[in-house]
Amino acid sequence: MRDDSLHEPQFALHVEDLTVSYGADPALWDIDLDIPPGVMAAIVGPNGSGKSTLLKTALGLVRPVAGHVRFLGRPVEQMRGKIGYVPQRHSVDWDFPTTARDVVEMGLYRKIGWFRRPGAADLARAIDALRELGMQDYADRQISQLSGGQQQRVFIARALVQDAPILILDEPMAGVDAATEAVIIDLLHRLRAQGRTIIVVHHDLTTVQSYFDWLVMMNVRIIAQGPVAQTYTPDNLRATYGRQLAMIAQPGAVE
Amino acid sequence: MSALLASSIVQTVLVGAALLGAISGMLGAFAVLRQQSLLGDALSHAALPGVCLGFLVAGGRDLGSILAGAFFTGALAALVMQVIVRRTTLKTDAALGIVLSVFFAVGVVALTHIQGQGGAASAGLMTFLFGQAAAILRSDLWIMGAGGLAALALVLAFWKEFKLVSFDANFARAQGLPVAWIEGALTVMVAFAIVIGLQLVGVVLMVALLIAPAAAARQWTNALGPMVVLSAALGAVSGALGALISASARGLATGPVVVLIATAFVLISMLAAPRRGLVWQGLAARAMRARISEGRVLTALQGLAQAHGDTAYKAERGMLNTALGAAPHAMRIDALERRGLIQQVTHPPETTPHWELTQAGHEEARALSGNAADKDRNLS
Repeated sequence: MRDDSLHEPQFALHVEDLTVSYGADPALWDIDLDIPPGVMAAIVGPNGSGKSTLLKTALGLVRPVAGHVRFLGRPVEQMRGKIGYVPQRHSVDWDFPTTARDVVEMGLYRKIGWFRRPGAADLARAIDALRELGMQDYADRQISQLSGGQQQRVFIARALVQDAPILILDEPMAGVDAATEAVIIDLLHRLRAQGRTIIVVHHDLTTVQSYFDWLVMMNVRIIAQGPVAQTYTPDNLRATYGRQLAMIAQPGAVE
Repeated sequence: MSALLASSIVQTVLVGAALLGAISGMLGAFAVLRQQSLLGDALSHAALPGVCLGFLVAGGRDLGSILAGAFFTGALAALVMQVIVRRTTLKTDAALGIVLSVFFAVGVVALTHIQGQGGAASAGLMTFLFGQAAAILRSDLWIMGAGGLAALALVLAFWKEFKLVSFDANFARAQGLPVAWIEGALTVMVAFAIVIGLQLVGVVLMVALLIAPAAAARQWTNALGPMVVLSAALGAVSGALGALISASARGLATGPVVVLIATAFVLISMLAAPRRGLVWQGLAARAMRARISEGRVLTALQGLAQAHGDTAYKAERGMLNTALGAAPHAMRIDALERRGLIQQVTHPPETTPHWELTQAGHEEARALSGNAADKDRNLS
């Protein structure tokens, strides 16, 4: 029998003793992690540090060998539809024969349910989500004809349309232009202001302090976690990335 | 031709080939989009040992047990492939290659062994390698028809789930959809299409009927619904045409002819399809080059006019060549004149032709330089 009682419901995401292993080497080792609700949290770490694996395990896409994950106190199976997920853009084939609007509607399939087709109300919600990202004029565009930044916006719109209290994004700013990055950050900040929890795997250390208010630093294991101001320190950077990178990305005053 | 169609064997083969083409075209569209075309190849090659197994178990050429055997070893191959990918460091393509060749080798060994033992019926097993259309019976059509309808019903019922899983299985999983079941259903349906195609096309060529109609259909449309319908239609037409051609000529095996026709559709589609076709893309690139060099002529004329403070500045050909650093092709000048953007004038006392921008030409040139500035802003 699984214990369905609430466990640590005060956290948007609670991870305890989580270990994931592909073959011999652990991809994640003994992860203990708590992210409070209503924050915009960055997960940073070098390549191969297990950031994406952590997200996928939290979402139940990868099976851990030990440990557990709770969202707002509940296992992920009970939170389906309440978590918006934006996978890495390169994880799909953008030559798939479909339109931007169609991709966004995919975020509603669960709600629409089996054996039913998306209706006019679903279409309207998809268009609204695209508008939030400035993409309403591209609704009927074949997705392969979109730029990388536009594709990323479509992916975010697909998560947005779920109206979920928790949003999880895997490298949303990777390889997008500055205009798209600004649109995405603006939207994420608005969502945070609505009380939602945003969890982002992020790769650009120079923007951590200006974009985020919560920080998780990891390299297979958790190095540090907490409010950005207390966590983004030279010692933690060194422990996460090694000496060289810590020199480049000195924490500094942020306007 | 009418005498040909009156033959009951030809009718059976024609309907059977068309049905098979439609079914494999419909299901192949999903296989191609899920980038699992080669899975179909592995499944069909892996069906051969099953064919032999069915023959041995039934003690003769009993279609039911032969197809059941094919389905069984095909499923076994898919399972082995999954285990290899999950448990070893080998990637999917290597796993596919290994499973395909090992199962096929086992099949060929079993086949030659059975044939070595003699018996009239055992000779018929050879037809499963490349298919033999004439072996199709009327009663087989009912099985194919019923199976095809069942597959169609499944595709319609689970349309949006199939679409989502084909596009982004990880997202579907995160949504809580039973992705393993949905993917399993798609794979089992592909295996079904292969099994019913074994008699007609054979294990070696069957994969072409899955891939070719889908690849051709993808060229003509950018939406999943039309692609699946077109893929099924192209499959059906390939099957019917192939059956007719092989029936009207002596010694042409139906299966390979069907495959060749389906491949011809792919070739035509790759070349001729609007937007995605090579011909279209070549023409589009040419038109773009022409537009760019015409634009350069316009902006050069505009620049000369501005430099002289004379909107009706008349430029000689040599002047344009120097300004552009290369001679614009005479065709471009003609095209600009046809579009009413420049006009040829004389500039006495010189006798050589001169050109000046028309009103429309001035506007076009302004728009072009304006656009260029916008582009620069966007890039920065």
